Amino acid sequence: MKKLVEVLTAEEMKKLVDSSGVEVAYKEVDVVTTGTFGAMCSSGAIINLGHSDPPIKIQRAWINDVEVCHPGAAVDLYIGATAMSETRPFEYGGGHVIEDLISGKEVEVRATAYGTDCYPRTKLRTTITKDDLNQFHLLNFRNCYQRYDCATNSRDEIIYTYMGKLLPRFRNATFSGSGALNPLMNDPDYETIGIGTRIFLGGGQGYVIGEGTQHDPENRFGTLMVRGDCKKMSSEFIRGAAFTKYGTTIYIGIGIPIPILNEGLAKKTAILDEEIVTDIVDYGIPRRSRPTLGNVSYKELKSGAITIGDKKVRVSSLSSLKTARKIAEILKSWIENSSFHLSIPAESLPTDTVCNHMKQTEEIAFVNSVTQAAVTCTEYEEIETVAKRIITHSVNHVIVTDEQGKLRGIVTSWDITKAVAKGKRKLSDIIIRKVVTTKPDEALEAASRKMAQHQISALPVIDRDKKVLGIITSEDIARLLGR
Amino acid sequence: MINLVRILLRFSEKVVEQPITAQVILEHGTPISIVAAHVDSQGGEILAEVPPTHVDKLVDAFREKGVTVTVPKLIEVDSEKCFDCGACFSLCPVSAIAFKDDFSVVFDEKTCIGSPCGLCVDACPAKAIRLVEQQSSGLTK
Repeated sequence: MKKLVEVLTAEEMKKLVDSSGVEVAYKEVDVVTTGTFGAMCSSGAIINLGHSDPPIKIQRAWINDVEVCHPGAAVDLYIGATAMSETRPFEYGGGHVIEDLISGKEVEVRATAYGTDCYPRTKLRTTITKDDLNQFHLLNFRNCYQRYDCATNSRDEIIYTYMGKLLPRFRNATFSGSGALNPLMNDPDYETIGIGTRIFLGGGQGYVIGEGTQHDPENRFGTLMVRGDCKKMSSEFIRGAAFTKYGTTIYIGIGIPIPILNEGLAKKTAILDEEIVTDIVDYGIPRRSRPTLGNVSYKELKSGAITIGDKKVRVSSLSSLKTARKIAEILKSWIENSSFHLSIPAESLPTDTVCNHMKQTEEIAFVNSVTQAAVTCTEYEEIETVAKRIITHSVNHVIVTDEQGKLRGIVTSWDITKAVAKGKRKLSDIIIRKVVTTKPDEALEAASRKMAQHQISALPVIDRDKKVLGIITSEDIARLLGR
Repeated sequence: MINLVRILLRFSEKVVEQPITAQVILEHGTPISIVAAHVDSQGGEILAEVPPTHVDKLVDAFREKGVTVTVPKLIEVDSEKCFDCGACFSLCPVSAIAFKDDFSVVFDEKTCIGSPCGLCVDACPAKAIRLVEQQSSGLTK
């Protein structure tokens, strides 16, 4: 019996186009399925608890100690994926609450209210499962990024980011997204994806309800806003997650069917990992525009190693390619056995929106605004000479430089005191060589965070070549920020 | 191939400057291979592999010289929790983590150096990786 509809996964489509050409693929294939499974922080679920007796107009509420929003009427709550448990922060959060509810677990709801004539109750504590909820809908305002940056770290220390754990001095990199399997990448002009497109969402069926926030089609950073019934989802495709020292989030599985309406779409769905290029970005610089170190294709990213400068660097995927593939396969089987019907979007996704920066009305202070001339010495000077310099300039930190003025270390008045007490004579024995530094264009807040983390009170300000430009101290920052 | 036994040697600040490992090797005429080592003036740790037939003797020898000997904790992955992202992959210094053709993440327990490293543990978004005490002979006393 001839199949009613010919469905291929995006990976199968690429193989077909490669072997038989676009024309044949266009004639033979009706639908191409895609998939992605990754961390999608701008997600959450709207729930309706039903009314209590006496009724309550919830003001603040918690589920399993995770604070949930109460943006509307009496008993509608929004569980934000990144909200963290007050008792187990960085470990359990809104994403885990949603996963637990989907997998049928019981959760504890607590709420407080100010009480009104119509809603007199001020306190509530109960346990519920998803069956006790009137509505339980995933309502995600930014999902399914078309592609994403590859992250690495230039700093001398490990950093923990929303792009995962990044080792010092470019010793690893991370990326996210399924590349050639990504839904929006296979229909980059949004010919078939728009409001009302039926999709695979979290193991159930959901809908695209518009473009996501920060949708940036021109730069191939399109995003989606989606909705779906959580009661029909599976915790295999909705998973709470926690990024160490960053916070909690949720992994979401999305698959979108792309009907091959024209030859152009047959060609577009044949896009390969090597044709999808993204930037390698230095997350060690915590600025809005992080420095770009080069670019890389998803083929290289998926190979496990990329090249940064002349260095081979191992790269981790943060999203699951295995699950992305499984989603495309499941969606394919649903369409084949008619349990999933494709829909025509009521409106296409916009192709002309831009993602602007925040308008800021307050000046932000950077390191250069509090940088002072540094008192310096070389490592061959006598301890006494340096001690005198500390007194003359009334400072606590002396920066050790070489002949070119490059950073060699730092000596504090405390180090000198200790040296005298212990009878040490040589300056080179007491120099601290592992120095935490800053750059002139680093935000003061980032620099002061560094000082707090390392429990130190000053940072040498250096340029790219490690040449010392000055010093900032916690006293100067405190004076400026009025703390 | 003989399965070597891994032992974790901890050197306190007091003993770290003595050539204890070399002494033990010379005294017992037994090869000890060093898998990983982190030693500085404040003390240190060596992850070593020794032949199973000599474990007890070598452990006693190290302990006599003031070294703390334990069994290294190894990585254990909760397959229920792991969703095969591979966030751990690029952190492993000994390439004990790999992808299969279907993009499943696999751990090679023999290559993993365990508790002296543990870099992957807090990189796991699913919190599926743990360092677990290994069951072994009388070493854990």
